[in-house]
Amino acid sequence: MSQRVKTVPRYGNTLKERLYLPAIYAGMKVTFKHLAQNVADSNAVDTLEYPEEQPTDITDRYRGLHRLTHREDDSIACVACFMCATACPSNCIAIEATPREDGQDEKMPSHFSIDTLECVFCGFCVEACPCDAIRMDTGIFSLTGNSREDFVLDRDRLLSHKGAFGKEKSRARK
Amino acid sequence: MMSTASIVIGFISFVLGALLALLMIPILVWLERRGAGLIQDRLGPNRTNVFGFRLGGVVQSFADVVKLLLKEEYYPNHIKKGKWLFMLAPIITFVSALLAFMVIPFADNIIIDGESLAVQPLPVDYGILWYLAIGSIGVIGMFFGGWLSHNKYSLLGASRAGSMMVGYELPLGLSVLSFVLTYNSIGFNDMVHWQSQTLFGFLPAWGIIVQPLAGIILIISLFAETNRAPFSVAEGESEIVAGFFTEFTAMKFAMYFMGEYVAMNTASAVIITMLLGGYQLPWVDTELLLSNFNNFALSLMVVIPIFVFIIIRWMRKNNRVRPTVSSDGGRAFETKVLSIALISMTLLIEIILIALMLFPSELGSSIAVMLFQIATFVVKLMMFNIFFILVRWTLPRFRYDQVQHLGWYYLLPLSIFNIFVTALVVVGVSL
Repeated sequence: MSQRVKTVPRYGNTLKERLYLPAIYAGMKVTFKHLAQNVADSNAVDTLEYPEEQPTDITDRYRGLHRLTHREDDSIACVACFMCATACPSNCIAIEATPREDGQDEKMPSHFSIDTLECVFCGFCVEACPCDAIRMDTGIFSLTGNSREDFVLDRDRLLSHKGAFGKEKSRARK
Repeated sequence: MMSTASIVIGFISFVLGALLALLMIPILVWLERRGAGLIQDRLGPNRTNVFGFRLGGVVQSFADVVKLLLKEEYYPNHIKKGKWLFMLAPIITFVSALLAFMVIPFADNIIIDGESLAVQPLPVDYGILWYLAIGSIGVIGMFFGGWLSHNKYSLLGASRAGSMMVGYELPLGLSVLSFVLTYNSIGFNDMVHWQSQTLFGFLPAWGIIVQPLAGIILIISLFAETNRAPFSVAEGESEIVAGFFTEFTAMKFAMYFMGEYVAMNTASAVIITMLLGGYQLPWVDTELLLSNFNNFALSLMVVIPIFVFIIIRWMRKNNRVRPTVSSDGGRAFETKVLSIALISMTLLIEIILIALMLFPSELGSSIAVMLFQIATFVVKLMMFNIFFILVRWTLPRFRYDQVQHLGWYYLLPLSIFNIFVTALVVVGVSL
C-alpha cells in the first residue's frame, strides 16, 4: 500500500453505537443544557431584539445606503461626470447635468437619483467616482416606503444623508 | 339511578378532559416554537400581547387561530367527487386524537358516600384497548386527505403515513401486551394503582423501571404514531412539500395541525399513565394521602409558597427588557399583576387547607387529594410534552423505509422476546 493512502477508521459498528440510545442521550443532554440555560436567563440569549435593539457592529467598510458628499462650503461635490452611472451594473443611477455658476467647477447635477429597488449595492459607483462625491458610508441598512416612488432617492435626499464614520466632506473637492 | 355526585364528577372530568386536550393545543404550539428558539439560542415568539399581557408570548397562538379562521376557504377545483370526504378527512384525524385522550384517568377514583367514581371523561375499564382502537383511526383521515387531494405530494405523504403505521403498530401492540401481562389489567386506573406500590421496598414500581425494554419500545412506537420527529416522514418540506395536507387550507389545515398536537398530548398522557406512575407521586398513593391528610396538607402549605416564590423571582428576572431597550412595553406591570394573582391564589389555597385541617371532613379531604392528583398529572403531562419537543429539536429524521426497518427488524423481535420473559416472570411470581 502506498504511503499516500490514509486509512480512515470507520465508526458506528460497536454495539453501543448501534444501539443509538447512548448517542440520543448525549444529544439530548446538549439541547437540554441550552434550554435550561436560556430559560434561566432569557435576556442573556445572544440575539438582537431588532426594532428596539439596533446593531452596533456595523464597520466602516459596510456598504449602506448611498449619500452625496459636500465640499468645505457645503455645496455639492458632484461634478456630473457620469462615471458612476456608467459603472453601475444595474443602471439605477439617473443624472441630469447643469452648468455650475459659482466658479468652483464647470458642471453639477441638477437631478441625481438612485433607484434603490434596482440597486444591488455593489459599490462600483463609489469606486468609479473621481471626486469622492458618492459614498456608501451612511450605515443605513434598512429603507422603508409605502410606494415604489419612495425608494427612488433624489438629489436632496442623498445630500441629506450623514456619514456614519466621521469623514463628512469630500476629500477630492475643496 | 345516578346520584348527584356521580353526575357532578362525570361532568367535571369531561370538562377537564376537553380542556386538557383543547386548551393544550395553543400552549403546545407556543411551547414548541418557544422551546425550539431557546434550544437553538434564539428567543422565539415573544411579542404578541393583549394590553401588554404577553404571558411569555402564548398570545401568539390565539392570534394564529384567529388568522386561520379568517383565511380563505379554498378547494382545488380538480376535486369533483368526494368533496365532503375531503372536508371530513381532517376532522377524522382530529376527532380520533381527541377521543383517544378521553380514557385517561386524571385522578384516582373518588369515593363519595361509599360510591367509587372514576375521574375519567369516559369511565371505561378497558382504556388501553380504546386508545389502540381509536388512536389508529387517525391515519385513515390522513389517507382520505392524501388520496382525495389528487396531488402526487399528498399521495406520497399519505402512503408514507400508511407505511409508517405498518412499521410501528405491531411493536406498539406487543409492548402494550407485556404491560398488560405485568399489570394484569387493561384499565388505565388499575395500571396506575399497580404502579403506586414499591419494588424491594424503596423503588417506585413505575412501568419504565419494571419493564424498561417494553417502555422504550412503547415510547418509540408512540413517537411514530404521533407522526412527530424523528419519525415525521409523512410530511417533509424538502421532499414532499407538506405531505398529505399540501392541498388543505385555512381551518381544514388547522384541523390536521391541531390533531397532531392533540395526538402528541394523548401519547404523553398514555406514556405517563403506563410508564411514569400516572397521576401519583412516587411512594405516595391515595390511601396514604387520605389517612395522613394533615401531614399532606402541611407539606403542601410549605411547598406551594416556595414554588410560587421561585416562579415570581424567575418572572422578575426574565420578564423584563434588556437595558439597551428604552421602552418597557408594560412588562413590569404584567409581572406585578401576575405576582399579585399568584400570591392571592396561594393565600386562598392556604386558607382552604387550614380550614380542611381545622374542620376535617371526608368529602373535603378526598376532593383536595383529587385536585392534588390532577395537578400532579398536568405537571407530568407538561414535562413529557416538553420531552417530546426536546426530542424533535435534537434528533435528525428517519427515512421512511428506515422506520419500517427499525420496527420490523429490531422492535418487533425485541417486544416478542420481552413478552416471553414477562410471561415467565409473571408465572414464576404467581407460583
